[in-house]
Amino acid sequence: MSEALETLSVAWNVISKAFRPALDSRNNDGYLPSYEDLKASVELLHQHGIAHIVEEWFFETLQQDLREIIVPRFWSHFDFQTAGADGDPDTSFGSKYFRVLLNAVKELHSSFQLYIPCVSQLQCLHEDLQAEEDTLPSEAQTFLQCSYLSLASRVHLVLKALLLAKIPQQFSNNLINFYSRAFKAFQIKQPLEKYEEEDLDDQLECPACENDNENCCCVEVLNTFQEVNQHLKELNLLEAVAGDAVTTVAYRHIQDYVQKTCKGNYENSYMPQLERWLDGALLMWMQSVYSESNAEYVVLICNIKEQMNHFLYETYTTVRMEELFSIIIEFPESQAALEDLKVCLEKTNLRQNLITSLKNSLERRLLHPGVNTADILTAYISAIKALRILDPTGVILQLVCEPVRKYLRLREDTVRCIVSSLTDDGCGELASELMKGAPLLLDDNYQADEEDVNWESWQPDPSDADPTKTTQSHRSHDIISMLVSIYGSKDLFVKEYCVLLADRLLSTFCYDTVKEIRYLELLKLRFGESQLHQCEVMLKDVADSKRINTHVNSEKMIADFRVGEFPLNAMILSAQFWPTLREEHLQLPEIVEKALESYKKAFEALKGNRTLCWKGHLGLVNLDLQLKDRTLNFSVSPIHATIIWHFQEKARWSLEALSAVTRVPTSALRRKIAYWQTLGILREEATDVFVLEEEEPQRQSLDGSVLPDEEEENGSVMASSQDQREEELQVFWSFIVGMLTNLGSLPIERIHSMLRMFAMQGSGTTGCSIHELRQFLDRKVREQKLVYSGGYYRLPRA
Amino acid sequence: MASQNIDPLSATVAPETSRKSSEDNHKPETGQHSVSKRLQQELMKLMMSGDKGISAFPDGDNLFRWIGTIVGADGTVYEGLIYKLVLEFPSSYPYTAPIIRFDTPCFHPNVDTQGNICLDILKEKWTALYDVRTVLLSLQSLLGEPNIDSPLNTHAAELWENPTQYKKVLLEKYDKEVRKKGQF
Repeated sequence: MSEALETLSVAWNVISKAFRPALDSRNNDGYLPSYEDLKASVELLHQHGIAHIVEEWFFETLQQDLREIIVPRFWSHFDFQTAGADGDPDTSFGSKYFRVLLNAVKELHSSFQLYIPCVSQLQCLHEDLQAEEDTLPSEAQTFLQCSYLSLASRVHLVLKALLLAKIPQQFSNNLINFYSRAFKAFQIKQPLEKYEEEDLDDQLECPACENDNENCCCVEVLNTFQEVNQHLKELNLLEAVAGDAVTTVAYRHIQDYVQKTCKGNYENSYMPQLERWLDGALLMWMQSVYSESNAEYVVLICNIKEQMNHFLYETYTTVRMEELFSIIIEFPESQAALEDLKVCLEKTNLRQNLITSLKNSLERRLLHPGVNTADILTAYISAIKALRILDPTGVILQLVCEPVRKYLRLREDTVRCIVSSLTDDGCGELASELMKGAPLLLDDNYQADEEDVNWESWQPDPSDADPTKTTQSHRSHDIISMLVSIYGSKDLFVKEYCVLLADRLLSTFCYDTVKEIRYLELLKLRFGESQLHQCEVMLKDVADSKRINTHVNSEKMIADFRVGEFPLNAMILSAQFWPTLREEHLQLPEIVEKALESYKKAFEALKGNRTLCWKGHLGLVNLDLQLKDRTLNFSVSPIHATIIWHFQEKARWSLEALSAVTRVPTSALRRKIAYWQTLGILREEATDVFVLEEEEPQRQSLDGSVLPDEEEENGSVMASSQDQREEELQVFWSFIVGMLTNLGSLPIERIHSMLRMFAMQGSGTTGCSIHELRQFLDRKVREQKLVYSGGYYRLPRA
Repeated sequence: MASQNIDPLSATVAPETSRKSSEDNHKPETGQHSVSKRLQQELMKLMMSGDKGISAFPDGDNLFRWIGTIVGADGTVYEGLIYKLVLEFPSSYPYTAPIIRFDTPCFHPNVDTQGNICLDILKEKWTALYDVRTVLLSLQSLLGEPNIDSPLNTHAAELWENPTQYKKVLLEKYDKEVRKKGQF
């Protein structure tokens, strides 16, 4: 028994010597048993049925060694940095660090190398054991079956686990720093292609290590880099230790590069350049990190490439996303950027972010009181055009611009802005858009013939499209339709156009309507014939007026009706078809009244059954002013003319008296007199008393130059559309009172539907959206004309 | 019956049935349509007139059934009392009178307990020249000036001679039958 024990003990001694490499001076007597001795010893153990514990014991001691000696020793290399200031990697620190890292890795490598022969020996024994598996006790059998990994990979696994368990905080940062430096050096020394335009030879400093060219340490850095990689790879630790750092460095450089190349520049397409750079510079470097040509690495590189490409797209999208507002504003110059972005957006998952971010920036930069309506419209039009490139289905546009449309709806002058830019002379965006002449598509139940056209290339709507809204063909139609649909009805626009047209016709006092007719024809293509009938009548009125004027002013008529004491041309408007004119009181001088009267008689003779109703306050008077020392010619409004006319008979007027003869309120009168005052023709002698300056005042401030007519307080000759709307709402209000009196309390939907049914059918009233109705009702609630409770409106009790 | 109470459509059709038979098919429809149009116009007129104390509005989507409201005129015993009416328009309107009854119980010589009204212009003296507005105005004035000679409510008719007593009974009843039920 004891003998057996002794042989076992000897055998164990051999085994333990063989499998425990001399790390230190520990058991360092230089004796290393040969494989035959070892095999015999194991055989001995095997005879006793305990051979399998060799493997177990090996791992136990390996772990112990790693934990107690190798790993602490490895990390102890980096101790210096905890003592020194953390971070702040100046160059001296950097190169020092590289050396330390290299040494540490080297040492780790060499000490671990000692175990490799043991492992291969053990592997052989293990295989021997497996061959005789049947003869082993069941306990050993299960043990053998458990170890499905090869011994080598198990050893590496243990090393990785124990090493990483102790990783110090600073280590990863420094590693990133290291790889970053290596990347820069790599880029400089890379002989293949140069992506940077800057000529390196001209620089005194190497851009990578920031040393003088002579002291450039890039080569050294690269060598260190290669060596470290090599050792780590042999230790099977490259992925585990450096993988993160490498990816982080790559990400950082992608970000830097994208920012540097394309930020703020939208006019060129950068995607090809970026992709080339990624392939050429970054991936080459990463390949050099992982360089090895076995199949596993090919797959790895493939994965990395995909990952990096994706990250590049993502970075590009993010960068552009932040600038999207500017890109839109700069459209069409920024088309290239949009096309790039479109490609990237399809490959990434940032669509939702893009929508949110653009929505926010639009709201922040556009939708506040400081921005002109015209500017908002310009931006909106730009957005329509730009987003059409980004997303031809129009879904992004729809989602992003909803707040803009909502906001525009609240602005009072939106319609006016749109309509006036539609018919702008200065080749505005909308005017040229109008030339395209496609009909408006507003009704939701419009069915495009998309079934027969290109059904093979049909694409479903993007997932974020609102299914309750209209289909593709609808969303992406033209700009004017989009603008008109802000309000959902054409009526408002047609009405506004009428006012605008009337204004233009009446303020120019010119009978030439060729241009207006052209616009009208174009608009008719958009809005339909029937809607614009009114405008056609207006233009015809102008043409007719011209004809009638010639007729009335003909020789015969002048003889018959004694017209023509001075030339008088009339603009004859059919009251039914013109927007309401601004009303003002003005008593014209007698001579003018007479002339108007005879003109009217002549007209009545010309057109039986019709008469004229003069609007004395509108029009244009061309008069010559003969003063003592000079004669001046003016074209002024009737009220200005009337004022100066009265000074003909009396050189001094008090404001009161003048107000009495002209029937113009004093405040308005004073404003009008100011015109003559600025010309130096009237002078305020004492408070509210004006005199005519027969002689030119000494100060030569005004040498007959035409002063711009001072701005009319109510620019337009038309009653404002707001006033008209108010009138319509008043009609609705009587209906609302009627229904609430009789039917008790009602919710807004019922009120709206009843109004639609009973009040909006009559001609001349435009619709009233439920949104507008709510505003109106809420106003009435504030005025205490209505009570709102629990979703119902009712009249307050009397 | 006044001449304007004859529907021109049916009047002209009668003697010339043979000739116009082909056009007859769509006539009822146009007839119905013109009634709607007339009611629509009447509604617009009523809404825009702004008469004090009378009002009516279609009951929901049905243009042929309206709810009306009249307030007793100032200076009468009915001053400030609110009455709801139901107005139903036959398809032959305006050639036949609308059917009008009080929805709110009304103590009045010419109104019975069911709310039916005895008023000549709603019966034999109806003409197509009347409209909702004039009828409501007539009803409003009927409150203050009942026709004692043809009473539907004899108790009210008897009481009418004594205004103080009448008003007392009227207000008691209004209080009991209307206010207590939370109608107004």
